[in-house]
Amino acid sequence: MSRKLTVIPERCSGCRLCEVVCSINRFGVNNPKKSSIRVMVLYPHPVIRMPIICRQCKVPKCRENCPTDAIISKDGYCTIDEEKCISCQQCVMSCPFGAIFLHGDISVPFKCNLCGGDPQCVKSCPKKALLFVPEHTLGQTHRMASVLKYTKMKEVEYVEKGEKKILRYADGERIKEER
Amino acid sequence: MKLKGGYFKKLLLVDLDKGNAEAVPLSDEFCLKYVGGRGFGIKLIWDNLNNFKSPFDPQSMIIVAPGPLTGLYLPASGKTSFVSISPATGIYGDSNMGGSFGVELRQAGYDALAIKGRAKKLSYVWIDDDEIAIVEHEGLKGKGCLEVEGILKNELKDNHVSIASIGIAGENLVRFACISADWGRNAGRTGMGAVLGSKNIKAIVVRGSKDLPVYDLKKLKELSDVSFEKLKSHKYFEFWQQQGLMSVIDYANESGIMPTHNFKDVQFDRADKVNGYEMQARYKIGDTACFACPMACGNICLVKEGKYSGTVIEGPEYETACMFGPNLGVDNFACIIKANALCDDFGIDTITTGNLIGVLIEGQETGLISEEELGGMKLKWGDEEGIIQLIHQIAYREGIGNTLADGSGGVLEKMPQLKPILSQVKGLEQSAYDARAAISMALGFATSDIGAHHARAWTVAKELEMGKEWSLEQKVDLVIYHQTVRPLFDMLGVCRLPWIELGFDEHTYAELYSAVTGITLTLDELLKKSNNLYDLTRAINVKLGIGKKDDYPPERCFSTPIPSGPHAGKVLNREEYEKILAIYYQKRGWDENGRPDMRSVSKRFSDKM
Repeated sequence: MSRKLTVIPERCSGCRLCEVVCSINRFGVNNPKKSSIRVMVLYPHPVIRMPIICRQCKVPKCRENCPTDAIISKDGYCTIDEEKCISCQQCVMSCPFGAIFLHGDISVPFKCNLCGGDPQCVKSCPKKALLFVPEHTLGQTHRMASVLKYTKMKEVEYVEKGEKKILRYADGERIKEER
Repeated sequence: MKLKGGYFKKLLLVDLDKGNAEAVPLSDEFCLKYVGGRGFGIKLIWDNLNNFKSPFDPQSMIIVAPGPLTGLYLPASGKTSFVSISPATGIYGDSNMGGSFGVELRQAGYDALAIKGRAKKLSYVWIDDDEIAIVEHEGLKGKGCLEVEGILKNELKDNHVSIASIGIAGENLVRFACISADWGRNAGRTGMGAVLGSKNIKAIVVRGSKDLPVYDLKKLKELSDVSFEKLKSHKYFEFWQQQGLMSVIDYANESGIMPTHNFKDVQFDRADKVNGYEMQARYKIGDTACFACPMACGNICLVKEGKYSGTVIEGPEYETACMFGPNLGVDNFACIIKANALCDDFGIDTITTGNLIGVLIEGQETGLISEEELGGMKLKWGDEEGIIQLIHQIAYREGIGNTLADGSGGVLEKMPQLKPILSQVKGLEQSAYDARAAISMALGFATSDIGAHHARAWTVAKELEMGKEWSLEQKVDLVIYHQTVRPLFDMLGVCRLPWIELGFDEHTYAELYSAVTGITLTLDELLKKSNNLYDLTRAINVKLGIGKKDDYPPERCFSTPIPSGPHAGKVLNREEYEKILAIYYQKRGWDENGRPDMRSVSKRFSDKM
């Protein structure tokens, strides 16, 4: 089953644990500047914290623009073949999300490889702002919200263990309006 | 012993008079003895003490020092200390902040930064790894802390630089001006922002790219993985993320130790209007955390309606909410947010500001100050407009604000009649815990090396929960333990909150330190280093005129019994306080006047960098 790394920016606290863990796992050093995930903090206009991640696009711009075919897609993620890479930074410039990074110590650009299928940033995130979920569940939150917000749902009150509750339902028998 | 990690072994010394910067090597012995952070700062202040006469003397020095654990993969490793002689008190001063500023400074390859001299024009210090510049920038004049951060990030075209800045108050030498970084983290106390202001430095900008030196990264990772899991599984972990320090309002109110109406009362009848639940329900829009901290105790609050609509801040935290809320009789959380936002932007300490405004309100209520003295203001409890006006006046040094801007010292010089109602020690205004119910807390405030701040010894909870019947000796031990372990956190460059709030075992820090430096030390050995430095801050203060006369809690602790709550009627007993102070001196090895053996101190700390 194919999984996707995804972000809920509203939850992010900006602690940058994802960055540290990434650098340790990937390069064996404690250096948030060598991570393939980067927390952007914008304040106060607008107020938002958002970790930038590679979305592992299925039609990757980085691969498309690589002049030496150094970017390889396999197992649901893209990697940079260091042998083929000439470090021209075309991929860095062409990623629409800015999710490919550079560092003075490292000769080629680097990007997320999902830690080979078990992303450590997700495990380290104390706010559950990073998720690694089955592909088909992406967008489910919005689908769910859309259902819950359906205006024609009706309500009935009932009592459970002495507590007043409300049950909401869509009444298939009583629907009168035609679309 | 040879260090194998933890330090770059470099101090960046910026001399504004000469307009240059130099990386000074630090020896292994120096790093091991002073550990880092506050420790490095204290030693540098001690060595520089004879070179200047006042905190605003160009030759005074301000030290910015993260610790050997700052920036590493371990819980809450984002702390940085700012150390100098305090313009607020005239004695040793330090204040620390979280965020990422210290991480960036370390990544630039320095264990500490020291700045001395005075720039000719308003400037910022630009540390870009090994390239250092002092950049004149008069366009920053009059700008707020956050504004400066925004302007410089824009001009340098880098959102990832870390910026510590001062606001208008720092430029105007308000003696309790703070230093702000990372959009609202503050080194709030003791006026470090005024020191930078006196040096014509509006900001310090850092970009660092280096790997942090760690001896055994595998071991560090193992230890920290377990540590993070422990914290995350604590029963209050999620609650802590939700409310952070704002949860303390309810705790302090119920325990009857929450300063209300200028420290006269200890409970606020409308506390539910200014507590964590009120914040969550109507104002909170997000969490914010310092570097590598899972607890995310910071809250981002926004006022969405009413006259303060559109005000957004990182905060408030307990101290601010209490000092601008109950302490001033304010029951409107939106007003607290507004006051907090103004203080953050002007760059003034919210604790001192709230404390001093409370004194004015009570002073006027009781007839100690006239309307004329306040320029025609008629203050009363909960007076939102008056409070906001006073904050402006302090930052711009206008009217009565000019007196307030000089802190307790300035206020008492002009209005000595306020002495009985001004809660301060050594010139630093008391922070938001009442000390009448717990003598250890009073002793903690009184013997803190920077003045009446809770960060050194916050013992009130422990004494009230389990130590009420303890002997004075036990209470002194508690105070000294706190005054040792808490500064140790400031030396290592980590936050104390995982330890205080989520029961994180302080012994873990010794294991982490050992893994990082390659030198195996126990917690006791680290504590000993911290304890030694308490003698050194005391020696600095003694040289600056501090003695037994300055080691007393605020007057109100003796004079006014607690009016209500679980400790109603309690007041400190002078004789008992004399006893506990004598025991304290004896356990510290200081003489009956509170002086350490100055010759021995000079000898112990005469080493070179």
